[in-house]
Amino acid sequence: MTDQDAPPIRVLLADGQSLFRDAMKVVLETRADFEVVAEAADGMHAVEEAVRTDADLALVDADLPNGDGVRTTRLIAERLPECRILFLSQHEDDVALISSLEAGATGFVTKESPIGDLIEMARRVHRGETTIPPQMLGTLLASLIRSKRQHDEALRRLARLTKREREVLALLARGADNEGIAQPLVISPETARTHVQNVLGKLGVHSRLEAAAFVIQNGLVDELAGAGV
Amino acid sequence: MIDAPLVDERRPVRNPEVWLRQAGGENVVYDPARGAVHVMNTTAVAIWVLCDGDTAPSEMIEAVCALSALPYEVVEEDVMRILDDFDEAGVISWNG
Repeated sequence: MTDQDAPPIRVLLADGQSLFRDAMKVVLETRADFEVVAEAADGMHAVEEAVRTDADLALVDADLPNGDGVRTTRLIAERLPECRILFLSQHEDDVALISSLEAGATGFVTKESPIGDLIEMARRVHRGETTIPPQMLGTLLASLIRSKRQHDEALRRLARLTKREREVLALLARGADNEGIAQPLVISPETARTHVQNVLGKLGVHSRLEAAAFVIQNGLVDELAGAGV
Repeated sequence: MIDAPLVDERRPVRNPEVWLRQAGGENVVYDPARGAVHVMNTTAVAIWVLCDGDTAPSEMIEAVCALSALPYEVVEEDVMRILDDFDEAGVISWNG
């Protein structure tokens, strides 16, 4: 099958401004490789339409009403993993860039971009490429480095725990109290409490809640899954 | 996690006298002390941004790998060439 024979890219346009949606629809439909299959003016409607139409590509605006663009992106990515998402921002916004990519977008473009660039980015995102404005590459790399350092530090702290303490932490992360820790580990609640205190000290956190947050925020749930409880 | 080899754990730091100007798709680094102008491509600008005196070349390489899915060796060659060019141009120094 040649590119010309390929079915058009089925697009969802999610933007609160009807003028922008109408303009994008007109522009996209002059290209043979795009078909606009749905439009949405707010976040929740965008998620519903993406799922209903099984869209290939969603263009999601950052400032969508009723579930902002990042939340909408996350929901579409969760419910329709095959759908590629190109995130539209008013400006080069570092926070929006990082948030949108973490939520599941693979492309980021500002509405200040020429329309030809936006269309080319839509094609590239649909092909599975990650596309961001070149001048924002440094910001994104710096963010990746920060995240990796944070994760490495978390693993270093986790490595201080004994096997039993890792089991205790896994249960803490699920919200277990002393009794809930003691029962599956076949120990007394007093022993469980001692283990909890040791875990908090070794992780450098001050509460059970903070310990649970440490596990979740650093993506250590899978790391602890082998703890055997 | 990428198991990165140690490349060079000294940290490059931008010369504070040198400044970057980005306009109209052009990236230019100007060094007033030498009266020199350096035109940079997108990757070089990204690496320039990371020359904060705290980020090791191996971290830069790992981050580019994570984003691009290119092999470590390919990215390592590019990043180290860019840093060598910066060094030769005198727009960075090294911490550590």
